[in-house]
Amino acid sequence: MRRVRGTLLAAALGAGLALAAVPAPLALAQGPAAATQDWKKEFEDICAKTQDAMALPVEELRSLVSRCDELKPRIEKLDESQRKVYSRRLQVCRDLYQFVIESREKG
Amino acid sequence: MAALRYLAAMAILGAALASPGMEVVPAHRYGLVQLGNRAAAAKVPPVTFDHWRHRARFTCRLCHVDVGFAMSAGLTAISASTNRSGYHCGACHNGKTLLGGKPVFASCSEGRDVDESPSCRRCHEQRDPDRARKEYEAFAEKYPKKGQARGIDWEDAESKGLVRPIDHVEGVSIRRAPLKMDKEISIESSGWMTNVLFSHRKHSVWNGCEVCHPEIYPSTKSGTKKTSMIQISSGESCGVCHTKVAFPIADCERCHVKPVR
Repeated sequence: MRRVRGTLLAAALGAGLALAAVPAPLALAQGPAAATQDWKKEFEDICAKTQDAMALPVEELRSLVSRCDELKPRIEKLDESQRKVYSRRLQVCRDLYQFVIESREKG
Repeated sequence: MAALRYLAAMAILGAALASPGMEVVPAHRYGLVQLGNRAAAAKVPPVTFDHWRHRARFTCRLCHVDVGFAMSAGLTAISASTNRSGYHCGACHNGKTLLGGKPVFASCSEGRDVDESPSCRRCHEQRDPDRARKEYEAFAEKYPKKGQARGIDWEDAESKGLVRPIDHVEGVSIRRAPLKMDKEISIESSGWMTNVLFSHRKHSVWNGCEVCHPEIYPSTKSGTKKTSMIQISSGESCGVCHTKVAFPIADCERCHVKPVR
Protein backbone atom coordinates (compact mmCIF):
# COMPACT_ATOMS: atom_id res chain seq x y z
CA MET A 1 0.00 0.00 0.00
CA ARG A 2 2.84 2.34 0.97
CA ARG A 3 4.57 1.51 -2.31
CA VAL A 4 1.43 2.38 -4.30
CA ARG A 5 1.10 5.69 -2.41
CA GLY A 6 4.75 6.48 -3.09
CA THR A 7 4.34 5.74 -6.79
CA LEU A 8 1.23 7.96 -6.97
CA LEU A 9 3.03 10.80 -5.16
CA ALA A 10 5.99 10.57 -7.51
CA ALA A 11 3.65 10.56 -10.53
CA ALA A 12 1.80 13.64 -9.24
CA LEU A 13 5.06 15.49 -8.60
CA GLY A 14 6.31 14.57 -12.06
CA ALA A 15 3.11 15.83 -13.69
CA GLY A 16 3.33 19.08 -11.72
CA LEU A 17 6.92 19.66 -12.81
CA ALA A 18 6.06 18.88 -16.43
CA LEU A 19 3.18 21.40 -16.39
CA ALA A 20 5.37 24.08 -14.82
CA ALA A 21 7.84 23.65 -17.65
CA VAL A 22 5.21 24.29 -20.37
CA PRO A 23 6.05 27.56 -22.20
CA ALA A 24 3.64 30.52 -21.90
CA PRO A 25 1.87 30.19 -25.32
CA LEU A 26 0.88 26.64 -24.42
CA ALA A 27 -0.60 27.74 -21.10
CA LEU A 28 -4.01 28.11 -22.77
CA ALA A 29 -4.15 24.36 -23.02
CA GLN A 30 -4.04 24.11 -19.24
CA GLY A 31 -7.64 25.25 -18.79
CA PRO A 32 -9.72 28.40 -18.30
CA ALA A 33 -8.00 29.56 -15.08
CA ALA A 34 -4.56 29.51 -16.68
CA ALA A 35 -5.90 31.23 -19.79
CA THR A 36 -7.39 34.01 -17.63
CA GLN A 37 -4.10 34.59 -15.91
CA ASP A 38 -2.33 34.48 -19.23
CA TRP A 39 -4.12 37.45 -20.87
CA LYS A 40 -4.02 39.48 -17.67
CA LYS A 41 -0.34 38.85 -17.15
CA GLU A 42 0.35 39.93 -20.73
CA PHE A 43 -1.83 43.04 -20.27
CA GLU A 44 -0.03 44.01 -17.07
CA ASP A 45 3.34 43.35 -18.60
CA ILE A 46 2.58 45.59 -21.61
CA CYS A 47 0.90 48.43 -19.75
CA ALA A 48 3.28 48.56 -16.77
CA LYS A 49 5.63 50.68 -18.87
CA THR A 50 3.41 53.68 -19.58
CA GLN A 51 5.14 55.82 -16.93
CA ASP A 52 8.47 55.22 -18.67
CA ALA A 53 7.19 55.58 -22.23
CA MET A 54 9.18 58.75 -22.93
CA ALA A 55 12.42 56.98 -22.04
CA LEU A 56 11.84 53.79 -24.04
CA PRO A 57 13.57 53.20 -27.39
CA VAL A 58 11.32 53.38 -30.47
CA GLU A 59 11.87 49.68 -31.23
CA GLU A 60 10.57 48.70 -27.80
CA LEU A 61 7.59 51.03 -28.21
CA ARG A 62 6.78 49.42 -31.57
CA SER A 63 6.99 46.01 -29.98
CA LEU A 64 4.60 47.11 -27.21
CA VAL A 65 2.13 48.43 -29.80
CA SER A 66 2.28 45.07 -31.64
CA ARG A 67 1.69 43.19 -28.41
CA CYS A 68 -1.34 45.43 -27.73
CA ASP A 69 -2.72 44.56 -31.18
CA GLU A 70 -2.14 40.85 -30.57
CA LEU A 71 -3.82 40.96 -27.17
CA LYS A 72 -6.88 42.92 -28.34
CA PRO A 73 -8.79 39.99 -29.92
CA ARG A 74 -8.29 37.92 -26.78
CA ILE A 75 -9.72 40.71 -24.63
CA GLU A 76 -12.67 41.03 -26.98
CA LYS A 77 -13.60 37.44 -26.19
CA LEU A 78 -13.89 38.08 -22.44
CA ASP A 79 -17.23 38.50 -20.67
CA GLU A 80 -18.98 41.86 -21.13
CA SER A 81 -17.74 43.58 -17.95
CA GLN A 82 -14.12 42.57 -18.40
CA ARG A 83 -14.26 43.39 -22.10
CA LYS A 84 -15.57 46.92 -21.46
CA VAL A 85 -12.92 47.73 -18.88
CA TYR A 86 -9.87 46.04 -20.35
CA SER A 87 -10.56 47.03 -23.98
CA ARG A 88 -10.52 50.63 -22.88
CA ARG A 89 -7.46 50.20 -20.67
CA LEU A 90 -5.55 48.47 -23.44
CA GLN A 91 -6.54 51.12 -25.98
CA VAL A 92 -5.39 53.97 -23.70
CA CYS A 93 -2.09 52.19 -23.19
CA ARG A 94 -1.60 51.49 -26.92
CA ASP A 95 -2.50 55.06 -27.86
CA LEU A 96 0.15 56.41 -25.50
CA TYR A 97 2.91 54.22 -26.96
CA GLN A 98 1.85 55.14 -30.50
CA PHE A 99 1.76 58.81 -29.51
CA VAL A 100 5.34 58.67 -28.19
CA ILE A 101 6.53 56.96 -31.39
CA GLU A 102 4.89 59.66 -33.53
CA SER A 103 6.24 62.45 -31.32
CA ARG A 104 9.75 61.11 -31.79
CA GLU A 105 9.33 60.76 -35.53
CA LYS A 106 8.07 64.33 -35.84
CA GLY A 107 11.10 65.43 -33.84
CA MET B 1 -7.04 98.69 -38.41
CA ALA B 2 -6.22 99.03 -34.70
CA ALA B 3 -9.90 99.65 -33.95
CA LEU B 4 -10.86 96.53 -35.89
CA ARG B 5 -8.31 94.48 -33.96
CA TYR B 6 -9.63 95.87 -30.68
CA LEU B 7 -13.21 95.02 -31.65
CA ALA B 8 -12.20 91.49 -32.66
CA ALA B 9 -10.35 91.01 -29.35
CA MET B 10 -13.36 92.27 -27.40
CA ALA B 11 -15.68 89.95 -29.34
CA ILE B 12 -13.45 86.94 -28.53
CA LEU B 13 -13.23 87.98 -24.87
CA GLY B 14 -17.00 88.45 -24.72
CA ALA B 15 -17.62 85.02 -26.25
CA ALA B 16 -15.18 83.36 -23.84
CA LEU B 17 -16.62 85.11 -20.80
CA ALA B 18 -20.15 84.20 -21.84
CA SER B 19 -19.34 80.48 -22.17
CA PRO B 20 -20.31 78.08 -19.37
CA GLY B 21 -16.64 77.27 -18.62
CA MET B 22 -16.03 80.80 -17.32
CA GLU B 23 -18.97 80.68 -14.93
CA VAL B 24 -18.00 80.78 -11.26
CA VAL B 25 -19.71 77.66 -9.91
CA PRO B 26 -20.20 77.40 -6.13
CA ALA B 27 -17.46 75.17 -4.71
CA HIS B 28 -19.87 72.50 -3.44
CA ARG B 29 -21.32 72.05 -6.95
CA TYR B 30 -18.02 72.18 -8.82
CA GLY B 31 -17.11 68.79 -10.27
CA LEU B 32 -20.59 67.38 -9.83
CA VAL B 33 -21.39 64.83 -12.52
CA GLN B 34 -24.70 63.14 -13.30
CA LEU B 35 -24.19 59.55 -14.41
CA GLY B 36 -27.43 58.59 -16.03
CA ASN B 37 -27.04 57.23 -19.55
CA ARG B 38 -28.57 53.90 -18.59
CA ALA B 39 -30.56 55.09 -15.59
CA ALA B 40 -33.82 55.78 -17.44
CA ALA B 41 -33.81 52.37 -19.13
CA ALA B 42 -33.10 50.71 -15.77
CA LYS B 43 -35.84 52.84 -14.17
CA VAL B 44 -33.50 54.23 -11.52
CA PRO B 45 -32.59 57.85 -10.78
CA PRO B 46 -29.21 58.92 -12.17
CA VAL B 47 -26.15 58.81 -9.92
CA THR B 48 -24.95 62.13 -8.58
CA PHE B 49 -21.17 61.92 -8.35
CA ASP B 50 -19.13 64.50 -6.47
CA HIS B 51 -15.50 64.61 -7.59
CA TRP B 52 -14.41 66.30 -4.35
CA ARG B 53 -15.38 63.30 -2.20
CA HIS B 54 -13.06 61.07 -4.21
CA ARG B 55 -10.35 63.56 -5.04
CA ALA B 56 -9.19 63.88 -1.46
CA ARG B 57 -8.40 60.17 -1.41
CA PHE B 58 -7.46 59.04 -4.90
CA THR B 59 -5.46 60.27 -7.87
CA CYS B 60 -7.27 61.14 -11.10
CA ARG B 61 -5.13 58.48 -12.79
CA LEU B 62 -6.37 55.70 -10.54
CA CYS B 63 -9.99 56.13 -11.63
CA HIS B 64 -9.48 57.38 -15.19
CA VAL B 65 -6.82 54.83 -16.16
CA ASP B 66 -6.77 51.83 -13.83
CA VAL B 67 -10.49 51.65 -13.10
CA GLY B 68 -11.30 52.68 -16.67
CA PHE B 69 -13.58 55.71 -16.37
CA ALA B 70 -13.42 57.59 -19.66
CA MET B 71 -12.79 61.33 -19.63
CA SER B 72 -15.82 61.97 -21.86
CA ALA B 73 -19.41 61.46 -20.83
CA GLY B 74 -21.13 58.31 -22.04
CA LEU B 75 -18.04 56.38 -23.15
CA THR B 76 -17.49 54.24 -20.04
CA ALA B 77 -20.76 52.27 -20.22
CA ILE B 78 -21.04 51.80 -16.46
CA SER B 79 -23.85 49.45 -15.50
CA ALA B 80 -25.10 47.66 -12.40
CA SER B 81 -23.67 44.52 -13.94
CA THR B 82 -20.13 45.91 -14.32
CA ASN B 83 -20.29 47.27 -10.78
CA ARG B 84 -21.44 43.92 -9.37
CA SER B 85 -18.65 42.16 -11.25
CA GLY B 86 -16.07 44.29 -9.45
CA TYR B 87 -15.43 46.83 -12.21
CA HIS B 88 -16.07 50.59 -12.49
CA CYS B 89 -17.58 51.78 -9.15
CA GLY B 90 -17.47 48.16 -7.98
CA ALA B 91 -13.66 48.12 -8.19
CA CYS B 92 -13.69 49.79 -4.76
CA HIS B 93 -17.37 49.83 -3.79
CA ASN B 94 -17.57 46.10 -3.18
CA GLY B 95 -18.07 45.83 0.58
CA LYS B 96 -14.56 44.36 0.92
CA THR B 97 -12.01 47.02 -0.02
CA LEU B 98 -10.84 48.74 3.14
CA LEU B 99 -10.43 52.48 3.35
CA GLY B 100 -9.25 53.89 6.67
CA GLY B 101 -9.84 50.43 8.16
CA LYS B 102 -13.50 50.32 7.10
CA PRO B 103 -14.98 48.41 4.17
CA VAL B 104 -16.21 50.63 1.32
CA PHE B 105 -19.96 50.15 0.84
CA ALA B 106 -20.96 47.85 -2.00
CA SER B 107 -22.53 49.30 -5.14
CA CYS B 108 -25.54 47.85 -6.98
CA SER B 109 -26.38 44.84 -4.81
CA GLU B 110 -28.66 42.48 -6.72
CA GLY B 111 -32.38 42.15 -6.07
CA ARG B 112 -32.86 45.45 -4.27
CA ASP B 113 -35.59 47.96 -4.92
CA VAL B 114 -33.92 51.31 -5.47
CA ASP B 115 -36.87 53.21 -3.98
CA GLU B 116 -36.79 51.13 -0.82
CA SER B 117 -33.09 50.51 -0.34
CA PRO B 118 -31.03 53.16 1.51
CA SER B 119 -27.82 51.65 0.12
CA CYS B 120 -29.04 52.16 -3.50
CA ARG B 121 -30.23 55.68 -2.71
CA ARG B 122 -26.81 56.54 -1.40
CA CYS B 123 -25.81 57.05 -5.04
CA HIS B 124 -29.09 56.91 -7.00
CA GLU B 125 -30.83 59.91 -5.55
CA GLN B 126 -31.49 63.51 -6.41
CA ARG B 127 -29.47 65.44 -3.84
CA ASP B 128 -30.96 67.91 -1.40
CA PRO B 129 -28.88 70.98 -2.41
CA ASP B 130 -28.78 72.35 1.12
CA ARG B 131 -27.54 69.08 2.56
CA ALA B 132 -24.93 68.76 -0.21
CA ARG B 133 -23.62 72.25 0.55
CA LYS B 134 -23.38 71.54 4.28
CA GLU B 135 -21.56 68.24 3.65
CA TYR B 136 -19.07 69.98 1.40
CA GLU B 137 -18.48 72.81 3.87
CA ALA B 138 -17.86 70.37 6.72
CA PHE B 139 -15.49 68.40 4.50
CA ALA B 140 -13.64 71.43 3.12
CA GLU B 141 -13.12 73.12 6.48
CA LYS B 142 -9.65 71.64 7.02
CA TYR B 143 -8.30 72.41 3.55
CA PRO B 144 -6.76 75.61 2.13
CA LYS B 145 -9.00 77.60 -0.23
CA LYS B 146 -8.29 79.62 -3.33
CA GLY B 147 -9.97 81.37 -6.25
CA GLN B 148 -13.15 83.27 -6.87
CA ALA B 149 -15.37 80.45 -5.61
CA ARG B 150 -13.05 79.77 -2.62
CA GLY B 151 -12.74 76.16 -3.70
CA ILE B 152 -10.27 73.73 -2.14
CA ASP B 153 -6.70 74.41 -3.24
CA TRP B 154 -5.82 70.77 -3.92
CA GLU B 155 -2.30 71.54 -5.02
CA ASP B 156 -1.54 73.32 -1.75
CA ALA B 157 -3.34 70.63 0.27
CA GLU B 158 -1.25 67.96 -1.42
CA SER B 159 2.04 69.80 -0.95
CA LYS B 160 1.27 70.29 2.77
CA GLY B 161 0.44 66.60 3.17
CA LEU B 162 -3.21 67.30 4.01
CA VAL B 163 -4.23 64.93 1.23
CA ARG B 164 -2.26 61.85 0.21
CA PRO B 165 -4.06 60.51 -2.84
CA ILE B 166 -3.91 56.74 -3.26
CA ASP B 167 -2.66 55.65 -6.69
CA HIS B 168 -2.99 51.87 -6.43
CA VAL B 169 -5.84 49.46 -5.79
CA GLU B 170 -4.80 45.85 -5.30
CA GLY B 171 -6.11 43.58 -8.04
CA VAL B 172 -6.94 46.54 -10.28
CA SER B 173 -3.77 48.60 -10.66
CA ILE B 174 -0.48 47.50 -12.14
CA ARG B 175 2.61 47.93 -9.99
CA ARG B 176 4.82 50.54 -11.60
CA ALA B 177 7.33 53.19 -10.71
CA PRO B 178 5.98 56.69 -9.96
CA LEU B 179 6.00 59.06 -12.90
CA LYS B 180 8.99 61.36 -12.96
CA MET B 181 8.30 64.23 -15.31
CA ASP B 182 9.28 67.74 -14.33
CA LYS B 183 9.52 69.49 -17.68
CA GLU B 184 7.95 72.94 -17.59
CA ILE B 185 6.50 74.36 -20.77
CA SER B 186 5.86 77.99 -21.56
CA ILE B 187 2.77 78.27 -23.76
CA GLU B 188 2.71 81.48 -25.72
CA SER B 189 -0.35 83.63 -25.30
CA SER B 190 -1.36 85.51 -28.41
CA GLY B 191 -3.60 88.02 -26.64
CA TRP B 192 -3.01 90.55 -23.88
CA MET B 193 -2.60 87.86 -21.24
CA THR B 194 0.87 86.67 -20.28
CA ASN B 195 2.18 83.26 -21.29
CA VAL B 196 0.99 80.13 -19.51
CA LEU B 197 3.55 78.21 -17.52
CA PHE B 198 2.57 74.56 -17.66
CA SER B 199 4.16 72.33 -15.04
CA HIS B 200 4.34 68.61 -15.79
CA ARG B 201 5.53 68.05 -12.22
CA LYS B 202 2.36 69.51 -10.70
CA HIS B 203 0.14 67.56 -13.07
CA SER B 204 2.00 64.27 -12.67
CA VAL B 205 1.16 64.09 -8.94
CA TRP B 206 -2.42 63.30 -9.89
CA ASN B 207 -2.09 61.97 -13.41
CA GLY B 208 -0.21 59.54 -15.60
CA CYS B 209 0.92 60.35 -19.16
CA GLU B 210 -2.04 58.47 -20.63
CA VAL B 211 -4.65 60.64 -18.90
CA CYS B 212 -3.71 63.55 -21.19
CA HIS B 213 -1.83 62.01 -24.13
CA PRO B 214 -2.97 61.61 -26.81
CA GLU B 215 -6.69 61.96 -26.06
CA ILE B 216 -6.59 65.54 -24.73
CA TYR B 217 -3.22 66.64 -26.14
CA PRO B 218 -2.61 64.82 -29.42
CA SER B 219 0.69 66.58 -30.07
CA THR B 220 3.61 67.72 -27.96
CA LYS B 221 5.36 69.65 -30.69
CA SER B 222 5.46 73.31 -29.78
CA GLY B 223 3.07 75.44 -31.82
CA THR B 224 1.39 72.48 -33.56
CA LYS B 225 -2.00 73.26 -32.18
CA LYS B 226 -3.34 76.67 -31.30
CA THR B 227 -5.97 76.58 -28.61
CA SER B 228 -8.18 79.55 -27.85
CA MET B 229 -9.88 80.45 -24.59
CA ILE B 230 -13.20 79.87 -26.35
CA GLN B 231 -12.20 76.26 -27.00
CA ILE B 232 -10.87 75.83 -23.46
CA SER B 233 -13.98 77.32 -21.89
CA SER B 234 -16.07 74.97 -24.05
CA GLY B 235 -14.34 72.01 -22.43
CA GLU B 236 -11.52 71.30 -24.88
CA SER B 237 -7.81 71.03 -24.10
CA CYS B 238 -7.10 72.33 -20.54
CA GLY B 239 -10.87 72.79 -20.23
CA VAL B 240 -11.44 69.00 -20.11
CA CYS B 241 -10.44 69.15 -16.43
CA HIS B 242 -10.24 72.87 -15.70
CA THR B 243 -13.92 73.54 -16.33
CA LYS B 244 -15.17 70.57 -14.33
CA VAL B 245 -12.83 69.30 -11.63
CA ALA B 246 -9.45 71.03 -11.46
CA PHE B 247 -9.45 74.72 -10.50
CA PRO B 248 -11.70 76.77 -12.80
CA ILE B 249 -10.32 78.81 -15.69
CA ALA B 250 -12.03 81.92 -14.33
CA ASP B 251 -9.02 82.05 -11.94
CA CYS B 252 -6.89 83.39 -14.83
CA GLU B 253 -3.71 84.10 -12.82
CA ARG B 254 -3.28 80.48 -11.81
CA CYS B 255 -2.18 79.64 -15.37
CA HIS B 256 -1.20 83.05 -16.74
CA VAL B 257 1.21 83.42 -13.87
CA LYS B 258 2.55 86.90 -14.59
CA PRO B 259 0.51 90.13 -14.47
CA VAL B 260 -1.38 91.18 -17.62
CA ARG B 261 0.90 92.88 -20.16
